[in-house]
Amino acid sequence: MEEDNHHDGEAQGVKICDPPSGSNPSADNLATSLSLLGNHMFPDQVVRSDSGIIKRDRDENVHLSDATAEEPSQDPEPPSDPEPKVETDDTQNPECEKESAQLTDGGTEGAAMDNGQSDSGEFVVTVLAKAKLEEQGLGVKGRSSPLLEAGIQESPAFISHRDEDVTADSWRQHRKHVFVLSEAGKPIYSRYGSEEALSSTMGVMMALVSFVQSSDNIIRSVYSDGHTVVFLQKGPLVLVCVSSSRQSEQQLRGELLYVYYQIISMLTQASISRIFEHKKNYDLRRLLAGSEKILDGLLNLVDSDPSFLLAAVHCLPLTSSLRDSLSQILQKAITPNLVFSILIAKNQLLTIIQEKTVIEDTRLEPADVHLLLNLIGASSAFQAGEIWTPICLPLFNPDCYFYAYISYLDPPECTVCLLLLSTDKEAFYAVAECKRKIEEAMVAQNSLSLIAKAQSYSVSQVGVSDLRHFMYKPFDVPDNYRQLTQFTSPEMEAPYSSEEEKMRLLDLYRYMHSRIHSTSRPLKLIYHVAERETLLAWVTSKFELYTCFSPLVTKTCAITAITKLLRWIKKEEDRLFIRYPAKYSTTPNPSKSSKGGKSDQQDSTDNGFLSLL
Amino acid sequence: MSTRRTSLTDKQAKNGTSKYVLERCASINEYYDIAFKVMLLGDSAVGKTCILVRFKDGAFLGGNFIATVGIDFRNKVVDVDNLKVKLQIWDTAGQERFRSVTHAYYRDAQALLLLYDITSKPSFDNIRAWLTEIHDYAQKDVVIMLLGNKSDMTAERVVKREEGERLAKEYGVPFMETSAKTGVNVELAFLAIAKELKHRVTQQPNDPKFKIHDYIECKKHKSSCCGLV
Repeated sequence: MEEDNHHDGEAQGVKICDPPSGSNPSADNLATSLSLLGNHMFPDQVVRSDSGIIKRDRDENVHLSDATAEEPSQDPEPPSDPEPKVETDDTQNPECEKESAQLTDGGTEGAAMDNGQSDSGEFVVTVLAKAKLEEQGLGVKGRSSPLLEAGIQESPAFISHRDEDVTADSWRQHRKHVFVLSEAGKPIYSRYGSEEALSSTMGVMMALVSFVQSSDNIIRSVYSDGHTVVFLQKGPLVLVCVSSSRQSEQQLRGELLYVYYQIISMLTQASISRIFEHKKNYDLRRLLAGSEKILDGLLNLVDSDPSFLLAAVHCLPLTSSLRDSLSQILQKAITPNLVFSILIAKNQLLTIIQEKTVIEDTRLEPADVHLLLNLIGASSAFQAGEIWTPICLPLFNPDCYFYAYISYLDPPECTVCLLLLSTDKEAFYAVAECKRKIEEAMVAQNSLSLIAKAQSYSVSQVGVSDLRHFMYKPFDVPDNYRQLTQFTSPEMEAPYSSEEEKMRLLDLYRYMHSRIHSTSRPLKLIYHVAERETLLAWVTSKFELYTCFSPLVTKTCAITAITKLLRWIKKEEDRLFIRYPAKYSTTPNPSKSSKGGKSDQQDSTDNGFLSLL
Repeated sequence: MSTRRTSLTDKQAKNGTSKYVLERCASINEYYDIAFKVMLLGDSAVGKTCILVRFKDGAFLGGNFIATVGIDFRNKVVDVDNLKVKLQIWDTAGQERFRSVTHAYYRDAQALLLLYDITSKPSFDNIRAWLTEIHDYAQKDVVIMLLGNKSDMTAERVVKREEGERLAKEYGVPFMETSAKTGVNVELAFLAIAKELKHRVTQQPNDPKFKIHDYIECKKHKSSCCGLV
């Protein structure tokens, strides 16, 4: 039953709620996992839903389609592996039934099947009528991807640099579209093409949202043959992703959440709500002007950097002595109201120091760090200056601003970036003085040239043949309660050195991740024989691990390799992770700080963010 | 014309190197006699950052508009009558959402370069609003200069030079048209500011008063002239 729902949801139909999540036998240790693998105990549902996924790919020729489902040998059920198309065709014959809306809660059995073309046409008509949309939208409904194909009246006069012809095939073929609109249906952002040209498309999206809303429900996703459409409503904003990637709905929704957070980081949640309370049809682009690059950059990072998928930060491997000395340099350069000092090289963390009192009850979330890194990457075009800008860390506190000081320490190369966060808008000069101290100390200790030598590692250093790549995310870095979640991963080397191959490997990881984190049927361990490699993902209470092996590896070899890998990581832990995050107290220290503040804790409270936690 | 274009593209091609070598010299050369804070203001996309980069590094950032985030602080030391004057320049973001952080630093500025884009009427119309803001937040004796930027884009021009002159006269501020792309009047704008500020500080009672208006009138290039790179 549950399985069917799941299936329907994936195949077609509008999904309004997550299916109930099931539980899975745990495989917390290697012995268990071995026996699971060896005893052919993988649940057959695995294969079933797998074919569902393959079905979606079939049309796009994505790499997995001809690949084998996991453990083909174990699979007793005929429809799964050799003939994915059979099941495919069964479940989704009517071309357009993606339209069939399942408006009821909890997964709604079967209704998806009986909606023929006429029904779906009617549904959309209702939706459109309800939203009082103009007629142009109507022509396109019955087809497989109405959101993409809705007629657009674009004005050729308005051509800016980010403009693309939104009526062109090339526009439709983008792998992942992201749209942001207000509840009044006003366009706010589109990843490709201008929002203006897309206003009627966004109108259709809003119509879908409000139609479902009118029956006290929330639209979550629409599945079509080649596309997944995911909706996320956050306060007065509606975010929509139209994706032909094979990612799961949860993953896509997670990405939309990042987009939302990035917007919050620029405007704060409080001010967005306030604006829309006062004026429902406010054009938020006015306030977001100039930030398109930041959102574009975020979406490119989300596609190419596994940090977002894993919700963990990647730090640059450094000897612990160097990392400690950098931390000490940062710890010494403080001023009242300084709350975070972060050192970044090559877009990876070197070290991060936090104010004691601020962080006592909370911690910096990986997502907030990702937003900061993206801001730095997307906006420091002319890297020579010292930037001072308000920034909100949405997971820390969505309603307040920090003030970020951003400056590169190694012009002209501009690879080592210092980020200092203060709660005081007026603190620029004091914070800039901290940078000067840090610069001096780093010159004295020759830190920059040591950092320049640091680099990510090669998987060959692990010394396990057949292992091509891995991502390891410990849940609890030893001894450190409330540590920033981190992961480690080697460089992607041949055969994954080209952009396409990198993306293909990431897609495989995303697939593994979606299986592990499936809400309906989470797995602890998955051994997946793909066409050109074999992957093994394993999640325990202590870590989450994704590994990629050469295609001919045997199961036993893979398990042995993982044992070795875990041993290697344990040995290298001090180098791979920030293990003992340092703290400072910005309580006044006359010799160190230029301003003699009184009680810093008091100051922090005055700045409002502690009280709002 | 064609030779100029080559040299520009050259510079852009290696801007990573040539530009930053300059920067490094500037920061090593920390020595200066007086320092002044100058702030660049104006609507988004009028070319504030481009003017600054032209002045500081002699390069033009073509093609790819990247909005400044918050405020961006840079230094440049210039020679004024054998005195080393360090200009600490705040490049501000034109967007509304950064207004509050910009306001916090207005009062530190001794000079303001207020820019509009000669190809954008709204940016010109907003100048009055900017002047009101300046009146509200800046020091009373702040030096203001009005610049009509993008003077190379003659085909797209929508704001006449006379309109700019008239507005400047109304508020009694010096005015000129600049081009970050060709470099016309960019150096002059900053140097005039530096001279004015330096004269204010070092002026003896019986020295002749420095007249910034006259100075720029005799030095400035009309946009019809060929720009110097």
